[in-house]
Amino acid sequence: MKILIVEDEKPLSDSMVEYLAEEGHLCEAVYNYFDAIGKIGMYQYDCIVVDINLPDGNGLDLIRVIKKQSITLGIIIISALNSLENRIEGLEIGADHYLTKPFHLAELNAHLKSINRRISYGGSNQITVNEIRLIPDEHKAFVLDQEIILTKKEYELLLFFISNKNKVITKAGLAEYLWGDYMDLADSHDFIYTHIKNLRRKLLKKGCEDYIKTIYGLGYKFEIS
Amino acid sequence: MRLLNKITLNLLAITLFIFLIGMVAFYYMLRQQVDQNINQELKKREMSISKEFDTAHSSVNQSVNLSDTVIITPLNQPRLIESFSDTLLFNPETNSYALFRQLGFIKTIHNRDYYIQIFKPLEETDRLIIRIVIIMNLLVILIILPLIIANRHSSRQDWKVFYDTLSKINNYDVNSHEAFLLQNSDIKEFEDLNRVLVAMTERIKNDYLNLKEYIENASHEIQTPLAIINSKMELLLQSGDMKEKQYKTVADAYEASNRLSRLNKTLILLAKIENRQFPESKPVNPAIMINHQLESLEDLIHAKKITVIKQMEAEVTISMNPYLAEILLVNLIKNALRHNISGGELNIELTNQHLKIANSGPALKIDPETMFKRFHTSSSSSESLGLGLSIVQKICTVYGFNVNYSYQNNLHVMQVDFIKAELKKK
Repeated sequence: MKILIVEDEKPLSDSMVEYLAEEGHLCEAVYNYFDAIGKIGMYQYDCIVVDINLPDGNGLDLIRVIKKQSITLGIIIISALNSLENRIEGLEIGADHYLTKPFHLAELNAHLKSINRRISYGGSNQITVNEIRLIPDEHKAFVLDQEIILTKKEYELLLFFISNKNKVITKAGLAEYLWGDYMDLADSHDFIYTHIKNLRRKLLKKGCEDYIKTIYGLGYKFEIS
Repeated sequence: MRLLNKITLNLLAITLFIFLIGMVAFYYMLRQQVDQNINQELKKREMSISKEFDTAHSSVNQSVNLSDTVIITPLNQPRLIESFSDTLLFNPETNSYALFRQLGFIKTIHNRDYYIQIFKPLEETDRLIIRIVIIMNLLVILIILPLIIANRHSSRQDWKVFYDTLSKINNYDVNSHEAFLLQNSDIKEFEDLNRVLVAMTERIKNDYLNLKEYIENASHEIQTPLAIINSKMELLLQSGDMKEKQYKTVADAYEASNRLSRLNKTLILLAKIENRQFPESKPVNPAIMINHQLESLEDLIHAKKITVIKQMEAEVTISMNPYLAEILLVNLIKNALRHNISGGELNIELTNQHLKIANSGPALKIDPETMFKRFHTSSSSSESLGLGLSIVQKICTVYGFNVNYSYQNNLHVMQVDFIKAELKKK
């Protein structure tokens, strides 16, 4: 997927480029509104990651310009301003997701994956990883073509793992992805532990290989060799 | 003591004191006048009696009327005294003594000196004086009382502004979004006081807002560096070519910076709730939201073997910001789950008036009041920010809900009363 990252903080932009490049995306980074407009005019992108507060303009205006050119293009807003109005406005003018800084790269990646599915297959695709098959539209999961009944959170967890396969997933990143901000995540680790224990048990029962590795003190990894 | 009462009492005391002195003085002055008058009359009689003695030598008829009594005493030694004095005489008619003014003088008849005493009754004039004094008293009281009442009434009108100001200062809230307005007064002192107060509150409010803005800006500015730190550490963790010890170090740092991010986000949220930046209210249905939340937490409820008992009126709606409503409910439910014991109960009761969320658990060791304070955590769990209930309380304050905690039958009960606190007082 060809991605344009519009973020004025170079170190943050670099991190995103590095993480996403490893996932096989083609990333380009610009650091202001003016350059972003230039790039959009010249090249075709599949997705744009845009910061709202740019030194010479507003990310929301940029989205309006982009949306005039291409409807299908995926848009993710990242902003330090977590105001509800901004969030609503952003989503109304056609952004797919709104992430508040600081965010987890794994979460950004998971959102990009879902945009990719939407663009490439019109959303009606399947995700297949070895013996696991997911149908995102119907929230269904299969192991060796046998359906496994997952709770909503377990399904989301599995999807998140598969989107970030072979990456270290931190507990904090998981918790925020599953429950969003503003939750006093006091015992989120217990929650996550419970969810993962159940998910792993359900997968193993249907003959799935044990892909979920625990990384002590840090989180998990969905390891597919 | 109210100033108004104090002034009235002072006025009353001074008036009465002066009046008392005035009355005493008045009495003696009147008395003197009357005595002078009587003396003059006695003098006149003295003259007429002298004349009578000079012209006729007939004896004076004994009269029953004491005022006509003339006592003539022959004088052996010459005495040249002519004097007025008060004396008591026996009145055979009333069979009692009465006060008389007497004039004693010396008259020489046929070369012989006689001491002659003539009398004038004082009783009637005395009675008159007393009557006059009483009437004067009554008059003064009749004048003073309405005066004081009228004064009090008009003062109260003037003081009204002052009391209004007082109650407004008492209820002043620097967080309030209403303008601080005071009543106008035609009294210079009150007008000055109000002017000073308005200027002062204005200054305090400005300082407060500046400070708040500064903190909010700082919080927002912190977000970007935090995002950079987090993303760099996430990349570092993915690199995989670290020794286990280094890994652990980065993991700890990452954990800490995550905590800082969450803390910062939550504080920004709290500030926003305080600033009422979630204005749009819609009717929301708590029952639907609660069910939704319970659904997303079902795994945990199963894991802790918690029995959920719901008593909810499905058609209850509350007018509030849906986003805040969700945060409120999530925090209450999560709190009830977190502090629950394995195999415990979670009771949810929802009516038009209140929402009750109760969970099993041992009694608190701390003062329930401190629960709503920021950064208060019950356990040493470093993961908890201790801001959950703080958020709950802030949201309740914005909507005028009452939230309180109680411990009944081994259940921790959090009750949110939807009826506005002010209405309840009335």
